[in-house]
Amino acid sequence: MFATVVVVSVVILAHLGIVFWLSVTDGSPGISSLTYTWNNFLEVFGDRRTFSVLLNTFGFAALSLVVAIAFGIPAAWLVERTDFPGKTILFTLMTIGLLIPGFAAAMGWLFLLHPRIGLANIWLMKWFGLHEAPLNIMTIAGMGWVQGLNLAPLAFIMTAAVFRSMDPSLEEAAHTSRADFWSTMRRVTLPLAWPGILAASIYIFTIGFAAFDVPAIIGWGSRIFTFSTYLYLLASPQDSLPRYGLVAALSTVIVALAALLSWWYGAMQQRARQYAVVTGKAYRPRILKLKKALIPAWGFIGLYFVLSKLLPISLLAWSSLLPFFQIPSARAFSVMSIAHYVALPWDLVLTGATNTAVLMFLTPTATLIVSLAFSWVVLRSRVPGRQAFDLIAFLPHAVPNIVFGVGALLITLFVLQKAIPIYGTIWLLLAVFTIARLSYGTRMTNSALIQIHSELEESAQISGASNWEVFGRVLLPLLTPTLLYAWLWIALLTLRELTLAVFLSTGNNITLPVVIWGLWLGGGLGQASALAMVMLAFMIPAIVVYWIFARRMGLIAT
Amino acid sequence: MIKVDNLWLTYHSGKERVPAARGVTLDVKQGQFVTLLGPSGCGKTTTLRCIAGLEQPDEGAITIGDELVFSAASGAWVPPFRRNIGMVFQSYAIWPHMSVFDNVAFPLLHLKPRPKKAQIQERVLRVLDLVQLGNYANRPAPHLSGGQQQRLALARALVAEPRVLLLDEPLSNLDAKLRDEMRIEIRDLAKRLNVTTLLVTHEQIEALTMSDVVAVMKDGLIVQAGTPTEIYSRPKDLYVAQFVGRTNLIQARRTSLESADKIRVSVETDLGAVICTASASYDIRLPTTVAIRPEDIEMLDSGEDGSSDNVFEGRVEKVVFLGESVDCFFQVQNIPLVLKVHPARAPASGVNIRVRFPVARCLAMPV
Ligand SMILES: Nc1ncnc2c1ncn2[C@@H]1O[C@H](COP(=O)(O)OP(=O)(O)OP(=O)(O)O)[C@@H](O)[C@H]1O
Ligand SMILES: [Mg+2]
Repeated sequence: MFATVVVVSVVILAHLGIVFWLSVTDGSPGISSLTYTWNNFLEVFGDRRTFSVLLNTFGFAALSLVVAIAFGIPAAWLVERTDFPGKTILFTLMTIGLLIPGFAAAMGWLFLLHPRIGLANIWLMKWFGLHEAPLNIMTIAGMGWVQGLNLAPLAFIMTAAVFRSMDPSLEEAAHTSRADFWSTMRRVTLPLAWPGILAASIYIFTIGFAAFDVPAIIGWGSRIFTFSTYLYLLASPQDSLPRYGLVAALSTVIVALAALLSWWYGAMQQRARQYAVVTGKAYRPRILKLKKALIPAWGFIGLYFVLSKLLPISLLAWSSLLPFFQIPSARAFSVMSIAHYVALPWDLVLTGATNTAVLMFLTPTATLIVSLAFSWVVLRSRVPGRQAFDLIAFLPHAVPNIVFGVGALLITLFVLQKAIPIYGTIWLLLAVFTIARLSYGTRMTNSALIQIHSELEESAQISGASNWEVFGRVLLPLLTPTLLYAWLWIALLTLRELTLAVFLSTGNNITLPVVIWGLWLGGGLGQASALAMVMLAFMIPAIVVYWIFARRMGLIAT
Repeated sequence: MIKVDNLWLTYHSGKERVPAARGVTLDVKQGQFVTLLGPSGCGKTTTLRCIAGLEQPDEGAITIGDELVFSAASGAWVPPFRRNIGMVFQSYAIWPHMSVFDNVAFPLLHLKPRPKKAQIQERVLRVLDLVQLGNYANRPAPHLSGGQQQRLALARALVAEPRVLLLDEPLSNLDAKLRDEMRIEIRDLAKRLNVTTLLVTHEQIEALTMSDVVAVMKDGLIVQAGTPTEIYSRPKDLYVAQFVGRTNLIQARRTSLESADKIRVSVETDLGAVICTASASYDIRLPTTVAIRPEDIEMLDSGEDGSSDNVFEGRVEKVVFLGESVDCFFQVQNIPLVLKVHPARAPASGVNIRVRFPVARCLAMPV
């Protein structure tokens, strides 16, 4: 177990190490006469495009944060602090909302608000006699809007936890101290929730900053780049050689930024914990009766689901059934067919589907085995310096995934190349996917292991069981529910993973989302829509299983 | 000052219905210190929260001062922030994002018209001095000890000079010694400020030492309200007798009236006939029990005259030394009883003793 932990730790550190190393070297690695220089950084910062990309990225991340919070916080407040009746449904839909691939929603929104073919634009122009499309999704604002809708469930889940852990008697004390609803909100509720909300915001901002799906689908065509798409462009340019030194330097800059954000996040989390209920005494949440406000509340929630799910997916379905995208009309209905579905490059699709299926099975399995080993070493062993492993397991959370993608690319190309020809195989994807999910995995196994008192194991040991028997007979059965739950979640995330796959996919290890991306990039919008629909259809049974399981564990019901 | 009239409240938790208040009626006079006493889950907090306006009852009416703050019949409803009350929560509910000063100043900021800054400063410091926190004004509130937080909560409840002060188990989070001190301190403070106070507790010692009136609750109802002496020495029924203090119980076989005024009754028990005083709920037709407190049983000296009523002979089983007194466990006709005497008079175990149950302290009540 210890060996596993060490090997994985070394691999994680190697990913970051090679990024740093390549960022300060000149020429192409692999050549024996490497020199160390700051040239890459000088070039990155000397290029005006870097700044415009960073500015774009900041704008995009900030806007998606605003949108995510505008939908997520009120929804969380409704669920935790009012008698809103649809709590279970809302929780379920929000959790599932996290699983809908970002690229699917982005494709749908493009069909709605594309300046030329966007349905809403065409209608608006017709109704109001406009000569120009009023709304354009292919902008930073448009991308931020879609990303924000995708991230709202995260804002919802994180702030719901904040509201839940707040002692309601703090608000009641304000009421009995003569403060009315709004004054209490302003002086007590929000200031108390603030560190938690800020922590969630930093977290969401970080994710938005590194997001790939939405900027790739929407921005690629009009050459609007954010950090991740720009990295992708540098790493796989169509008309020149890849500039790996620049990629590494840019990644290093981002790692520094991410480190800053995650330090800030940690500090806020700590503040939030100080404000959370500390008394063990159970308390009853203070429930506000919505009464007449119930209708606007439903309206608000409904609006969110229409905008974030129903509308984009309907458009996706619509587009998948038409030879070319057009507004609904008698003619459009008459030419509807499943031609796109039939014409899909089924060979490629099958390869992608097989790879995705294999990865969906192997990634969670590998992640949880490694996570369990990490948790065991950190929490149960007496190895000196074991806390360092906890920190390493946290790295994939702090560092944007895409940097690990870059790191993996560089390692396989320049270090492993000949020794272990892993490039272009799904084993490479498996390794990187596993690293990317390790933070989540260890968080789950840590909390499960902490709950199992070590005396349980010790008593088994005293009864004469060997280490392995203790593990198999005592720990594993107790951990099973958590492991199964985490397994399903990671499997579903693997299914929708595009960012890492896009960096590391070649012909043989292509995954389903990458096939969709390829079709989209090649201009086959209808086919891409059709395949995305197929993929969503395949997600349904998996999501149902996940949902049943989460319900049973009490993770969704409130 | 506080009038609660036939208050009903049912909670709905899931599909379950929990009747928490089932007709609570209570009358607290201006300046009185009243305690709601009862076991966990009997509806004390619910009643207090209804008075504060944090819960809306299903039935009944509540008046504070001469303002009708709630009435199911007329639909009257005054929200908590306009009820002019001060409340101390069991968890203290100190706002962790504010300093001690800001916590206390909070209610003043919401007075209409809002007092001037200098005035707020002065009033806050005055009340902080009152609870002996004068030196802590600028501390962040979470950096206080449990006892200090409790005083802070009290200061915050009192600073706006409310009509009534509501306290929900304010001492339950303190250690034993601090609790002894705070009991006296809170009562003194309430009396000094002449504020009408309603305290909720499940500790009989708090109820007995602090209150002018104790109201004993059971299952969402007030079963008996009276001065601490009344509650202790003349409990209305078995429930009150057992909940407040310890008591010996002796099953009756038959009872008959001993006097025309229905106050003295003769009760046939396994000990023989016991002459008792009828409790408020006594009914000759119901199965009866005799209750007498351990400290009320008199142990007779060997030479003393034993010809009066209620003298019995028993055998000492066990003597337990408690410091200020001794518990003496003895049996009369195989019925186990306990009495309390000064350590100097403690009998040895195994000896025979004679005891007398004073008629005035022997209560007959329905089982
Ligand atoms: N919000 C609620 N939802 C459902 N049931 C409740 C709620 N609040 C209180 N109850 C129930 O109502 C009954 C009375 O509760 P209350 O809090 O008034 O008791 P209490 O006398 O203050 O008890 P304690 O001494 O333990 O504080 C209990 O059975 C309790 O479980
Ligand atoms: Mg209570």
